[in-house]
Amino acid sequence: MSEPHDERAIDVALTEALHRLPHRPAPARLVRRVERVLAPAPPAPSPGWRWHWPRVLVPTLAAAAAVALATPVVVYQYNAATRAASATMITEAIGDHLRIVQAQRPLEIESGDGHRVRPWFEGRLEFSPVLPFAGDNDVPLRGGALAWFLDRKAAAFVYGLRLHTVTLFVFRPEGLPWPTAGWQRAGAREVYRAGERGYTVILWRAHGLGYALVSDADPREVVQLASRFGGA
Amino acid sequence: MHEELAREALGHVDALYKLARYLTGRETDAEDLVQETYARAVAGAAGFTAGTNLKAWLFRILRNTFISMYRHRRASPEVSGVDITDAAATEEWLRDDMELDRLRKLVAEEIEAALMSLSEDARTVVLLDLEDLSEVEMAAVLECPVGTVKSRLARARAALRRRLRDYAK
Repeated sequence: MSEPHDERAIDVALTEALHRLPHRPAPARLVRRVERVLAPAPPAPSPGWRWHWPRVLVPTLAAAAAVALATPVVVYQYNAATRAASATMITEAIGDHLRIVQAQRPLEIESGDGHRVRPWFEGRLEFSPVLPFAGDNDVPLRGGALAWFLDRKAAAFVYGLRLHTVTLFVFRPEGLPWPTAGWQRAGAREVYRAGERGYTVILWRAHGLGYALVSDADPREVVQLASRFGGA
Repeated sequence: MHEELAREALGHVDALYKLARYLTGRETDAEDLVQETYARAVAGAAGFTAGTNLKAWLFRILRNTFISMYRHRRASPEVSGVDITDAAATEEWLRDDMELDRLRKLVAEEIEAALMSLSEDARTVVLLDLEDLSEVEMAAVLECPVGTVKSRLARARAALRRRLRDYAK
């Protein structure tokens, strides 16, 4: 039988062995995702308006003059904040779309049957995603995958449009930096449309959920497609 | 979350990812688990006590997130409890004079395979022990008394030694 000191030596050897476990640092894509989660929330523009109004209501000529001078600046800052906030969602949508396009295994469920794809998300999300378009011969549904949209989980429904990929992200809408201006009435609802780096992004809200449709197809085709998704 | 705290939290991403990988067994699940951990940490930042161990706090969130989001999907019989098996049967080998040499010859992949063969609870306590957490901090992560941590760790390491026997021969 071994002496007690052998047991201690074995214990040390076991710890040393565990320290030889393969070192696999967090992938860069995960670090970027975490950085986005940790990033301070963009400033909300509305409270700033309310905060400044009492000051400009001082009933003096000097204050009135100050209002006249300050208002364009405040409006400019307000619009800049709005643009920055909406740009965050547009950039995120394109980035998420690219991650799906470039992934070696972009789909976690591969099926053209919406009745198979949508139930796959059950238990994987904190909400039940609505699949607004089940695909057809021109724009077949390829499948779905879990994704992240800014700080929250999202359902990604992936379609084909000839050689293009079209991704529809469905997510909880509350607390996101939605654009506060630039919405267009399209059919029964309002949509926000933006283009960046050759990609078209269309945002809308319906059924208590948020939607982002992304593709590098011709912008007119994407707009037409959005109408079939109920987003225009 | 305060900027300085966020920066410090980001510095623990590798450690969290490591534990997440060994808990989920899948890279994609591990990444989701880590991101969800940070999202919950940001949401609950007010619950962090300044001056305490931030890494331990994040580990606790990760473990609870794993339990709530992933563990229920599994049907594995290994998911609960620490491996409490055949201690008497392997007692002889555990005291084998050759064990020391065998342990020293193990390669990383063998150790990893043996670790993955343990239950999730055993894996967790063994990995936390490598993170330089105190027993009090580990108890906070695992939400159990310090005495329980000690006994769990002892049983988990003994189980790991038994598993490693197969690789060391």
